[in-house]
Amino acid sequence: MPSKNMGRIKAIIVKEFFHIMRDPRSLTMVFFIPLVMIFILGYSVSYDLNRIDAAVIDLSQSRLSKQLVQAFAANRIFVIRTRGNNGHGTLSLAAAEKMLRQQKIKEIIVIPADLSRCLAEKRQCSIGLIIDGSDVNIANLVYQYDERIILEFIAAMKGVGQLLKINTKIFFNPEARSQFFFIPGLVAVILLMISAMLTSLSVAKERETGSIALLFISPLKSREIIIGKTIPYIIVSLLDGVVILLFARFWFGIPLRGSLAVLLVFALLYIVSGLALGILISASAPTQRTAMLATLLITMLPSFLLSGFIFPLDSLSPVLRAISYVIPATYFLRIIRGVILKGAELRHFLFDGGMLIALSMVLLAAATRKFNRQRKAAQ
Amino acid sequence: MSAPALAAITVSDLSKNFGHFQAVKGISFTVAPGEIVGFLGPNGAGKTTTIKMITGLLKITSGTVLIGGLDNRKHLAAIKKKLGYMSQKFSLYPLLTAMENIEFFGGISGLPPAELRLHMARMEEQVASDILGQKIQDVPPGIRQKVALFVCLMPEPEIILLDEPTSGVDPEARRLFWNELYGLKKHGKTLLVSTHNLDEAEYCDRIIIIHNGEIVACGEPEELLRQKGKVNIEELFKDAIQEHGQN
Repeated sequence: MPSKNMGRIKAIIVKEFFHIMRDPRSLTMVFFIPLVMIFILGYSVSYDLNRIDAAVIDLSQSRLSKQLVQAFAANRIFVIRTRGNNGHGTLSLAAAEKMLRQQKIKEIIVIPADLSRCLAEKRQCSIGLIIDGSDVNIANLVYQYDERIILEFIAAMKGVGQLLKINTKIFFNPEARSQFFFIPGLVAVILLMISAMLTSLSVAKERETGSIALLFISPLKSREIIIGKTIPYIIVSLLDGVVILLFARFWFGIPLRGSLAVLLVFALLYIVSGLALGILISASAPTQRTAMLATLLITMLPSFLLSGFIFPLDSLSPVLRAISYVIPATYFLRIIRGVILKGAELRHFLFDGGMLIALSMVLLAAATRKFNRQRKAAQ
Repeated sequence: MSAPALAAITVSDLSKNFGHFQAVKGISFTVAPGEIVGFLGPNGAGKTTTIKMITGLLKITSGTVLIGGLDNRKHLAAIKKKLGYMSQKFSLYPLLTAMENIEFFGGISGLPPAELRLHMARMEEQVASDILGQKIQDVPPGIRQKVALFVCLMPEPEIILLDEPTSGVDPEARRLFWNELYGLKKHGKTLLVSTHNLDEAEYCDRIIIIHNGEIVACGEPEELLRQKGKVNIEELFKDAIQEHGQN
């Protein structure tokens, strides 16, 4: 290559280096974001479960069945419940199924009454596993853990082990369709992203066009501006939510086993948290473009990785698990999957609903404070 | 002996720093009630920054601004009621029609519905209703300017700050606009109008020329021309800037 060309290329190379080194955003992108991503992904991209809550219905109550229960209980990730809610009496199947619906347990292990007799008579016998299939990934993992423990148990029983089989039922998603698991999650992530985007762009646009100055100079109080800006977007986002849900129902065939009204009540709380988050983001974003990028990053990344959407919350490190508690999608995901796939009712999500209210209030207060400070900083 | 009338705007030693850059450098001036003062200067001279500090939209680095004797850092809520502000970009909502913009700004100003309807009827008398029904982004700049001024005047402010109100508007619309400003002056309003169109100085009772954040000339246009021996504002402006550059 002629030296003249090399000189021109060199000029561009030098200029680009100066740009990278002198632009804080480029430096952040080069050095900070990869570290943050490797940190978050390193701890979140994992399908290991740290805890499996299981109910055991031991209909046999024999020495053998107790050994099997002990085999599960001895495994550090299994938390076994064998008694009723008050801690007394044997757990019934109906009570265990209720716990499954309420997401208190991930599976029910049913040991048949005739376990010892079947094996003594050299007849085949089945251990029943009823697994919550609303999260296909977790259901598969739970099954794998169960299978390993049962196979080890069988291996230890010389001679009769081959007679013991596993009979698995997947509840709420018997075909184990991954769409049943992913689409409600996608609805949650999209709803948060859209609601946050609506307000963040709205405020950033006002700043860009200068019209925010007229709002600031008007007698309007900051909280009046925020309330006024939020209410129309609550309605729009709620309609958006209904459209997405209907699309999921009729296009993808996702069932709606619970009440749409219950889902919309919680969706309303969830949307408010998203809208408040958008205002909070926009307070630090000078342009619409920055607001859009920041909103995408702040809503999508944690919602995908840290809310239980893809990776089980139980597999997160304690730090990331703590972060997951302040992500609105963590709570709404449980609600939407519960209502859609399990037909769960409002009373099953009082904690999640409460957390959504708390998060919405905190985010709204933070957004108002930030907005107010920005307004005052200008004065 | 009667006490001197309280100035509508008193700016004292006003400065604004953006990091290490000093956009406004300790300027002082007053605007008397009922006066039209032209705030002249090239782009980047510090006009918008000064006006924004007067309105309270921008934090003052040092110095004071009194509006009708009230410090704008302590009595902003009271001052807001006295001030009308029309920003550089008109700042109307582009997807709303002219009438919808008027309705919105009337609403946030807290105008009673009956009064708002009167204002809207007044606007309909001035501009054809088919134009008022179009999105503001689609109407000619002259109409946008008219609507922006109308919106600014709806709460009936005593003091009106207009930041480059005639930029991007054709000469005829500018002339008509200044006629409207004269009408306001006749009604006792005080006006501070920033512009980089030097020919607009002739419309003003007094002019303040600002350059690089400093006031380089201040006074009645005729008086300044006579003092400096210049025939027009353009020459006066060039001379003031040159003189300032040499100091």
